[in-house]
Amino acid sequence: MEKKDKDKDKGYNRRSFINNGVRLALGVSVVGTAAFTLQRSASGKDYVWQIDPFKCTQCGRCATECVKAESAVKCVHAYALCGYCDLCGGYFKPGAKLQTGAENQLCPTAAIQRKFIEEPYFEYIIDEELCIGCAKCVKGCSAFGNGSLHLQIRHDLCLNCNQCSIATNCPSDAISRVPASEPYIIKGNFTTEEES
Amino acid sequence: MLKKIPNLALILILFALLTGSFLQAQQRFPKPEFDTGYVQPDPTTPEPRAMALEYFDVLVLLAVLSLASWLAVKKRSRRGLLWLSVFSLIYFGFYRDGCICSIGAIQNVALSIFDPGYAISITALLFFILPLLFALFFGRTFCAAACPLGAIQDLVVINPVSIPSWIRKTLGFIPVIYLALSVLFAATGSDFIICRYDPFVGIFRMDGPFLMIFLGITFLLLGMFYARPYCRVFCPYGVLLSWMSKFSKWHLSITPSECIKCKLCKDSCPFDAIEVPVEQAYRTPEVSRKNLKRFILYIGLIPVLILLGGWIGSKSHIFLSRVHPDVYLAELMISQPELKEDEENLDIQAFLESGDTFEQLVDQAAVIREKFRKGSLVMGGFIGLALGITLMNQVVFRRREDYEPHKGDCFSCGRCMDYCPIDSQKSKGESQKLNVESLKLKVENQKSVKSKG
Amino acid sequence: MKKRGLTIVILVILTVIIGVIVVDFLNNRPDRRGENPYALEVDQYKVVDPELISHKETRNFDLGLLIASDMSLYDRALYVSGNSSLVVIPLDGRPATMHEILPRATCLEVDQGNIFVGFSTYVAKYSHEGELLQEWPHLGESTVITNLAIKEDKVFVADAGNRRIVIFNREGEQEGEFEGKAESEAGHGFIIPSANFDLAVNSFGELWVVNTGKHALENYSDDGRMRGYWDKASFDIDGFMGCCNPARITVMEDGSFVTSEKGIVRIKIYDQSGELISVVAPPALFKKERSANEEGKAPEVCVDENGVVYALDFDRDVIRVFEPIESE
Ligand code: SF4
Ligand code: SF4
Ligand code: SF4
Ligand code: SF4
Ligand code: SF4
Repeated sequence: MEKKDKDKDKGYNRRSFINNGVRLALGVSVVGTAAFTLQRSASGKDYVWQIDPFKCTQCGRCATECVKAESAVKCVHAYALCGYCDLCGGYFKPGAKLQTGAENQLCPTAAIQRKFIEEPYFEYIIDEELCIGCAKCVKGCSAFGNGSLHLQIRHDLCLNCNQCSIATNCPSDAISRVPASEPYIIKGNFTTEEES
Repeated sequence: MLKKIPNLALILILFALLTGSFLQAQQRFPKPEFDTGYVQPDPTTPEPRAMALEYFDVLVLLAVLSLASWLAVKKRSRRGLLWLSVFSLIYFGFYRDGCICSIGAIQNVALSIFDPGYAISITALLFFILPLLFALFFGRTFCAAACPLGAIQDLVVINPVSIPSWIRKTLGFIPVIYLALSVLFAATGSDFIICRYDPFVGIFRMDGPFLMIFLGITFLLLGMFYARPYCRVFCPYGVLLSWMSKFSKWHLSITPSECIKCKLCKDSCPFDAIEVPVEQAYRTPEVSRKNLKRFILYIGLIPVLILLGGWIGSKSHIFLSRVHPDVYLAELMISQPELKEDEENLDIQAFLESGDTFEQLVDQAAVIREKFRKGSLVMGGFIGLALGITLMNQVVFRRREDYEPHKGDCFSCGRCMDYCPIDSQKSKGESQKLNVESLKLKVENQKSVKSKG
Repeated sequence: MKKRGLTIVILVILTVIIGVIVVDFLNNRPDRRGENPYALEVDQYKVVDPELISHKETRNFDLGLLIASDMSLYDRALYVSGNSSLVVIPLDGRPATMHEILPRATCLEVDQGNIFVGFSTYVAKYSHEGELLQEWPHLGESTVITNLAIKEDKVFVADAGNRRIVIFNREGEQEGEFEGKAESEAGHGFIIPSANFDLAVNSFGELWVVNTGKHALENYSDDGRMRGYWDKASFDIDGFMGCCNPARITVMEDGSFVTSEKGIVRIKIYDQSGELISVVAPPALFKKERSANEEGKAPEVCVDENGVVYALDFDRDVIRVFEPIESE
């Protein structure tokens, strides 16, 4: 009985010694990984996902690929760039002749409101409740207008996924992490190369 | 007739001027001015969730982990752990939408190690290391009460069946492969597969793509009979936790003092994580010798397995590298050049519009493939090593006399503790010993009564 | 036995889960994905009746690294302004010459005496040898000069930023300006939503200005009174589509117009009263090139006395020559 206990103790001691050693090693490697990561890319910054409207090619996946059933991507209007055109390429279906009926609207959900400002200027306002981020109007606006309509990830809706599911699927690599302090890339805020 | 103007000098001058002219920012076209004095509105920019709240998340995690460890190791309260896990489910799951989570953070860490351009957020890093450190001392208390994925599965355990050990062990190897692949894909910047196939975020968000919801529901249904299926067959973070936990200092124990081998707890663990004492019969000298032989064989096998794994890994790097969209696109465009004309192929069209040349894409793909070549080699070796160690662990060397949780597999859920008859005995010291003896008797009696009846 | 059955069921479900994940993972590939359900279909407007096409592309000049901004035709030579330089390309095959002009010019116009170069906010006068003769006063902050036209001793400067035409004499003295406003119902003034604002003086000495927001060509007297206009807004081939079209025009010997549109790029010829005569280049010839976020820019157009149209294709930095198809 006594001997057995002793044996057990010995075994126990050896085991606990190994255990302690391995634990130390594991602990060091975890903390070491963390430290390495930190010094490699130390940043108190946080990142959020955003679309670079200058890269986006309006492929329509923003409407379908977001993990949310209703995409966190919405169309944003950079009013400062807009020509306030009567015949808006982002609002009307090609070929439609200035009738504002829903059937003449480009937007599949009729999410764009047209507001008369003064002869002959109209303002186009996106109803984000309705917009599904399909970029159809964006395409129309950049094709025929000034490109003032563009897509942005709306951070009140976005879940800030670890990996944005649209980003993995975006054919133009337009979505990337941006510092949370500047979470938007609004077109009108930029001085862009002047169109000739 | 095609006429080229430039001679070389001209090109050079033009080039110099061109680079200069790009630098000067051009004025944007002025806004329209309205006679009525109307001023255009500015687009709204709703702010993302404040960073301070993310630090708060870390604090919550820390608090939950500490509490869980205390509940599991010291307080020994299954009920406490249960309620804590419900809290975590609500907070990290339903309130925080299942993001950020420690499991996915593996990928952030991997990416930030291999891609200097990516800066990991402190929150993600802490989410990654805190549970591991806790596991190193207290076992997988993260799984017990802090992980929302674990919690939701734990709640649906109804009628768990015990699965033959060899199947369990085989299935248990899948997470290792999953871990290796997800690290490989994350490190090469290809994809975050853990996040993509996280089965429960869809449920946490009550919204999501069909596949996500489908997987979530399937896992929950399965979980009624096969407890914690995601944890046991998929969770890559569980692999790391289990390594840590194996060497934990103060792991939860089934009995508060001394095991009386009453076997009452034997079937209490829904995860088959309780190890039974090694019977005396198995500890005969010849068995020991046989074990030793097997042990040595397996040890010798490890380098072979590593080499084999590495070889298979590097053989499959071409296949694996296709996961990266750039590599895939480059291959696609080489093998099917006619797709360039296909207006419907958005990815190729988008690439053509991007202004990059095909050669750039191919170069890029080659760089990525090279990363994959090295990565797959290491990954294969790692899988081989893990396989070797698993085999090696099959050989029972250690005498086990008590019923104990398998430190690697145990989720520290605390269920078994309630089954131990000793737990109800609050007495300490000498009287305890007596009690143990009497208990033993009592249990024996019960058993004999049972077997008679 | 029952337990065994359950185990098998569990294993089957697990296999299915893994299978679904793997299949989904492998299927999510660029060539296995559907088309864009929200695509904007404009292809039907790119089709042009071949009967209408009057010109054929015969050759082109590659501009190399020059990022061109405007082009002018004078005395059998093309004058192209680009990044800080002015390139003169004689059409008879003599080598091109280059002058440095700083900073980046937005437009230019040439006549027998001088080369006038428009920069963003001012105009400068150069000699034919490329020597800077005069820098004219700046026209103010929000000025965006997009085009010039010369009529005898007057230089008309199109300022898209302020939606006005500024009139200078050849010495750079400002003689007036007008915004195209008139009392009549058409006289709304220039509506210029973007930096596309062209003007031209035809061989009868008439000044024509494009009011792009109205898809109109308007005729003005030298002092800025509107004398007539025509407009055509339509996606069909006989009109101008989208906003800001026609982005560029030039005039032929007989007073008809060569127009160039952005968006769906097309070059067409209209008669004096705005009837479509023919199509010089259909949109198919300007298939969107790589690298452009915005859809095609409108090519600058020039036309010579034989009806040959020179189009400066900004998306490719090539001058494309369209010669009339000989009718049998
Ligand atoms: S997925 Fe990319 S290219 Fe497509 S609409 Fe979204 S941002 Fe644009
Ligand atoms: S067309 Fe698409 S992106 Fe534009 S407003 Fe409508 S739903 Fe939104
Ligand atoms: S981060 Fe997630 S929620 Fe946000 S846009 Fe991307 S997929 Fe949608
Ligand atoms: S095994 Fe993974 S999923 Fe399960 S509780 Fe642990 S960390 Fe969470
Ligand atoms: S504490 Fe561990 S051994 Fe006990 S029931 Fe839970 S998982 Fe099983």
